[in-house]
Amino acid sequence: MKLLQTTSLTKKFGNHTAVNNISLTINQGEMVALLGPNGAGKSTTINMLIGVLQPTSGEIIFGEKATNINDYRSEIGVVFQNSVLDEKLTVKDNMMLRAKMYSRPVIVQSLIEKFELESIWKQPYGSLSGGQRRRVDIARALISSPKLLFLDEPSTGLDIQTRTKIWEILDQLRKETGLTIIFTTHYLEESENADYVYIVDQGKVIAEDTVWGLQKKYTKNILQLTYTNGTSQTMTIDNKDDAIKILSEKGPLISDFEYRPGTMDDVFMNLTGKEIR
Amino acid sequence: MNGLIYRNLKIYFSDKSGIFFSLMGAMISFVLYLIFLSQNMIHSWSSVPDTKLLLDPWLIGGTMTITAITTTLSSLSLMVQDREKNVLADLNLTDISFLGIQFSYLITAMIVGVVMQLIMYFMMSGYFLIADKSALNLQLLPQILGIAILSSFIWTIFNLLLLSFAKKVDTLGKIATIVGTASGFLAGVYMPIGVLPTSVQNVMKYTPALYNTAMYRNVLMQSQLQASFKNLPSNIANEFKETMGISVKLNQHVLTIQQDMLIIVAFAVVITLLVILISKISRRVVISKE
Repeated sequence: MKLLQTTSLTKKFGNHTAVNNISLTINQGEMVALLGPNGAGKSTTINMLIGVLQPTSGEIIFGEKATNINDYRSEIGVVFQNSVLDEKLTVKDNMMLRAKMYSRPVIVQSLIEKFELESIWKQPYGSLSGGQRRRVDIARALISSPKLLFLDEPSTGLDIQTRTKIWEILDQLRKETGLTIIFTTHYLEESENADYVYIVDQGKVIAEDTVWGLQKKYTKNILQLTYTNGTSQTMTIDNKDDAIKILSEKGPLISDFEYRPGTMDDVFMNLTGKEIR
Repeated sequence: MNGLIYRNLKIYFSDKSGIFFSLMGAMISFVLYLIFLSQNMIHSWSSVPDTKLLLDPWLIGGTMTITAITTTLSSLSLMVQDREKNVLADLNLTDISFLGIQFSYLITAMIVGVVMQLIMYFMMSGYFLIADKSALNLQLLPQILGIAILSSFIWTIFNLLLLSFAKKVDTLGKIATIVGTASGFLAGVYMPIGVLPTSVQNVMKYTPALYNTAMYRNVLMQSQLQASFKNLPSNIANEFKETMGISVKLNQHVLTIQQDMLIIVAFAVVITLLVILISKISRRVVISKE
């Protein structure tokens, strides 16, 4: 089921076109990534999707029928790139006061457990580590039990353990509640968490598909050989029979080998001719 | 909306250094008075008995106005900070309307202004009670509270007008410095209005500060004025009132406290219209209202 759709979304700042004709379709329950280098227009797109920026042209359609912006806002949660919580207030104050700003009933207790906030509950938000902050940020975004969660660069500046932890929680949330998630990232490996990936560069969608589909379409499988004399050789071979043939020919000479599909790095490299910045 | 007002209040009152700096203007006037202003003025009004008891509430009145000006500005600054730090976008996702969010900043600033004025009142009165044995008349409290609410109101709106020009947090500090310094002069605290040149006096009459201070001084000094001037000719009493900024003279007419109040309300109306006009012209709202 289609949850959110944009058609030819465009945003211009003066003469500069930050977002150029982006069309997205997001289905209920999906995890969708907008992948692209810094300055590609990801955040601008998100800001339009959450109603902070007015598109220069194009349309955003939520659900089946056209909804007004206030109804729409109450269906979404947003984790902003820069934190929007109050540094001087405790985690408790931040969460409980935000909860008070909703007129509908909200459940904070289950979020405290899910995001393991008990231990930092009484600490000022400003004294938390980057990972702890992110956990509070996401918990705050989920206070209103949204149908659709936006995360703008959720793991920038976080260490690998924290990143993994956050993706675990998000995955679990999706399984439990069927939450739809849209996130932006410039980490290629992170986009591999997504069901569907839009690759954005210079304001345009340059490719879109599932991770597997992208790898299939834009990369070839890679065979890497390590010889007994210590040298190694990498070749792109898409046919497994060819690979087996090479392996059996060179069998006695090689100490080890690897045969794998292309990564998102290769996809990006092949699409843009450059590594991600 | 309560949740947001509560948040705003908590942010203001949890920032100890912020409170200190927002009271800087008031504290400067208080300290200057203790160090030399009071001596100067007692000297120049030596013919009046109990000058010190007369001048203590005079100083309190002016300092209260400064407090109202600077603390409401400090609280209202949160509005600009929230806008710049994207907090506004987050608040906009809650069930509070855009107008509701704007109003909660105003209501917060008014509450902060009233509370800080009362705190300053009790601190200063307490000091003078101990140091000079100036009587603390608690019967005046309802009137003081009334004026505190009115001054919080007018200065919140006034500062909203100033902040209409501030789009960056960086500008806030500069505005706060200018306002903090100017308020002491405009309220006629650093120097009594009567000793200033006529041109400067005229400028002062175009801000609500002078009338605000006059209202406070009228109420606070009333009983001591009667006591001190009971054996002196009324023209000396009038001269004292005009020179010291207890009564404002506008077009040869000496204003009563009720007229001071009406002028402040008129200022409020004019400033509100200006704020609306500016927000219509400069559509630099970071967040779209739609």
